[in-house]
Amino acid sequence: MNIEIVDKVTDIVFKKASQLKVDDISVISGYGKESMLRFSNNSITIVDTLDEVVVFLYLAKERRRAIGTTSSLQEGDLNRFVNQLFSSMKYIEESEEYTPLPKGPFKYESFNSYDARIEGLSGELVDYCDTAINTALREGAVRVSGALTSDVAAYKIKTSAGVESIDRSSSITINVRAFSETNSSGHGLSCAASTSKFNPEEAGATAGRLAKESKRVGYWEEGIYDLIVGPTVAADLMQMVASSASAFRVDTGTSFLKDCLGKKVASEQLMLQDFGTIEGGFDGRAFDDEGVPTKRTNIIENGVLLTYLHNISTAKKYGTTTTGNAGIISPHPWNVVVNEGSMSLDEMISESKKAVYVTNNWYTRYQSYVTGEYSTLPRDATFIIDSGSIKYAITGTRISDNIPRQLLNISGMGKEKKWVKWWEVETPVYTPPILIKNVNITKAQF
Amino acid sequence: MKKEDFDLDLPFYAVSEAEDKGVEYAEARLQTTKDMACIMRNGQQKPAIISESSGLGIRVIVDGGLAFSTSNVLEKSQIRELVDTTVRRAKAASKLLKNKIKFSRERKNKKKWKAVEKEELEEKNFEDVIKVLKEFDSIIQENKDYIPMRLLEMEISTDRKIVVTSQGTFVDGYVPRLYVTGFLTGMKNGKTAQKSIEYGGSGGWELIEVLKIREDIQHQTSVMKNIIENAQKTIPGTYDVITGPEVTGIMAHESIGHPFEADRILGREAAQAGESYLKPSDIRMRIGSEETNLSDDPTIPSSYGFYLFDDEGIPARKRKLVVNGIVNELLHNRATAQAFKTKSNASARATKFNREPIIRMANTFVEPGDYSFDELVKDVKQGIFINSFMEWNIDDIRRNQRYVGHEAYLIQNGEIKHPLISPVVEVTTERLWSNLDARGNNLEYWAAICGKGDPMQGAPVWAGGPSLRLRNMKVKTR
Repeated sequence: MNIEIVDKVTDIVFKKASQLKVDDISVISGYGKESMLRFSNNSITIVDTLDEVVVFLYLAKERRRAIGTTSSLQEGDLNRFVNQLFSSMKYIEESEEYTPLPKGPFKYESFNSYDARIEGLSGELVDYCDTAINTALREGAVRVSGALTSDVAAYKIKTSAGVESIDRSSSITINVRAFSETNSSGHGLSCAASTSKFNPEEAGATAGRLAKESKRVGYWEEGIYDLIVGPTVAADLMQMVASSASAFRVDTGTSFLKDCLGKKVASEQLMLQDFGTIEGGFDGRAFDDEGVPTKRTNIIENGVLLTYLHNISTAKKYGTTTTGNAGIISPHPWNVVVNEGSMSLDEMISESKKAVYVTNNWYTRYQSYVTGEYSTLPRDATFIIDSGSIKYAITGTRISDNIPRQLLNISGMGKEKKWVKWWEVETPVYTPPILIKNVNITKAQF
Repeated sequence: MKKEDFDLDLPFYAVSEAEDKGVEYAEARLQTTKDMACIMRNGQQKPAIISESSGLGIRVIVDGGLAFSTSNVLEKSQIRELVDTTVRRAKAASKLLKNKIKFSRERKNKKKWKAVEKEELEEKNFEDVIKVLKEFDSIIQENKDYIPMRLLEMEISTDRKIVVTSQGTFVDGYVPRLYVTGFLTGMKNGKTAQKSIEYGGSGGWELIEVLKIREDIQHQTSVMKNIIENAQKTIPGTYDVITGPEVTGIMAHESIGHPFEADRILGREAAQAGESYLKPSDIRMRIGSEETNLSDDPTIPSSYGFYLFDDEGIPARKRKLVVNGIVNELLHNRATAQAFKTKSNASARATKFNREPIIRMANTFVEPGDYSFDELVKDVKQGIFINSFMEWNIDDIRRNQRYVGHEAYLIQNGEIKHPLISPVVEVTTERLWSNLDARGNNLEYWAAICGKGDPMQGAPVWAGGPSLRLRNMKVKTR
């Protein structure tokens, strides 16, 4: 990947900002090269090739702050952008939250896997799709849809506090949805930082198998069930928990974790961590937007909330140190990791008397973020479990419950973990299946 | 915010390069989007925010394969390389092509258009934005004992697109937009309620008055206080439900607008946003009562989903989706129009230069009836009026949906009574629209950012309608 352009635009923006005699400057230029192949009805519908260089700039002067991004790269446009951002600061009030950028240089340690081969993939991407589609068809599907994304990115940071560094990352993911002749469906995915760990065949096989296994549909009644969530659903749940640990979310009433520091918020079986970079992870960076080295942060340990995710401003407010999760305005997780337990998926099923096993979900919405009242829709293969075995598939289900209660009701963690990132799960999550007791499942008036 | 000149030569150059390589179709879109935004949390300003995105998107069809490529390095050498890559990838895709992609035949169009803007947004700066946000904040503060947490954001943006195609189309469009969003947390004496609010339109600074933002924020703060003070538990049961325009709008958007997107019906979004309860043969199928009349219209002045030409260069018009309960028309782009053997009705939109144009709703609404609100309520013996919502969702074929009321009241013997806590309507699409027996004359629209596509595209839309009366609805509670 040619990162000359990243160097060039970083230098232009930093030089221009330096001339304006501000107190703080952080410039991060990112160069992303993404290919996406989308397919439906066993056929490719479009090939996307998305190249973009984006420049991020943070400025502070006399406690007034501004942030901006631009993808207009001509030198004149970049200078205009810096001037415009600088001019905007005079209208902004001095911020009590202002904290000077931490003095570098820092030692950065990146565990990102950068697989240079991903950038050169072209015909192979079509072959990967072909493999996923054909495997799903062999397993019993009649039509297959999905998206394959390969992505390489390079980032350069330069701050007025003496920080200058570069990091790179790569990823290749596939999301497969297969349908049987009765329209029952299954979902499978493979998400990896390198081609060596990428497995489109497994993704297609899982989707096809689940589509076939969920063909026999039976009656169910709404009520309280134990809930087994597969890794894809667990990932959605845990990305919500990790995001809710952002100090900004806590301060804006969009988190159920307010006033919970040091308190038990989940079953003792749960440990939830965030990693700036991690081997096998694919969305993190060695540095955050303030130039602070990213790291491992234990958010929940033995069910106790240990910390919120912080930038330097929120850390100051809470009397602690940054966790390296800036966002200038809102701290955010990078790669979420859930601990493994001792149960296999088969054991979760065999130990359940009355349960629902959900393999995928979407459309999660809250009635109240502060209390955690929410609902989400299972989609694709969903099964009812009666006395330790799967009885049949069910449709029209909705998980309508409360996140804090669900976290406390976790009664089993799976032992096999999977990286999940797809359309519904934006932050990569490495998680096993999870067993949750006494969850409310509802259905619609028809 | 200041206007910048476009290098108009670039999209023509890109299309010409693609034509030289023998493509069946080429289209280039030069797009610049500029935003400035300010966030206030409990009256405290967050950093000023500016963003600008500018680049070129190219789409080609080769041997029935479709490819889309983008770059923001706007130099001819880069564009030449980009065209080359796009054509090669379209050819490679044709290897795994069961269904060749073709576009419907359409007239070529040459037109410059823009949304009406009385007071130009490009003349506004952060001082103007902050002043208005402070005013909004002070309205909420009047009830600060009941609303301890408040978050407000205002964003003004401009979006210019130039679309050039190998079939001779050249369309140059400009839409300025104003968007205000907020999040209110009501909390007192152990009771809580939350509400997200959104206002948006296309036009200039005058939208602050046009959209009646001050008035609605005032209303929302009063409602929050009333809920915290007076709301009572909802008793589950069967009720006649009367919806307010905000609830009508979300029902129209989710259960009619999305499933009427022809790309979903053909399965193109199956692995992401899902499919539809409609099949290609379901045109003219009954979907609801005679009162079920819904449309989508991109040409509504000041609307958040406003446009006069779509991003394939097709002139926009109103689409009558459901007429007297019968499926009448779907939302089409040129590819689905070809598959359905019809013409495009200009539904293709891309939110930024680096996103492909896909089928999107614009402003989806239930057509108004002739009942006053009092007439709707008058003969309801046991009912619930749900004027606004917080939680909602719907399954991926758009059949099984749920709306949880925020501002809601019990109706007894034709009279509105006390507010209720979180009444839940969880219903299938066919039951919802079959139970509709009367429409109000109070047409209103609400702004939203609608998510679809992969990579995700958040498109500005309005959703709306009048109050509806839905008979015999099962209502649950949280």
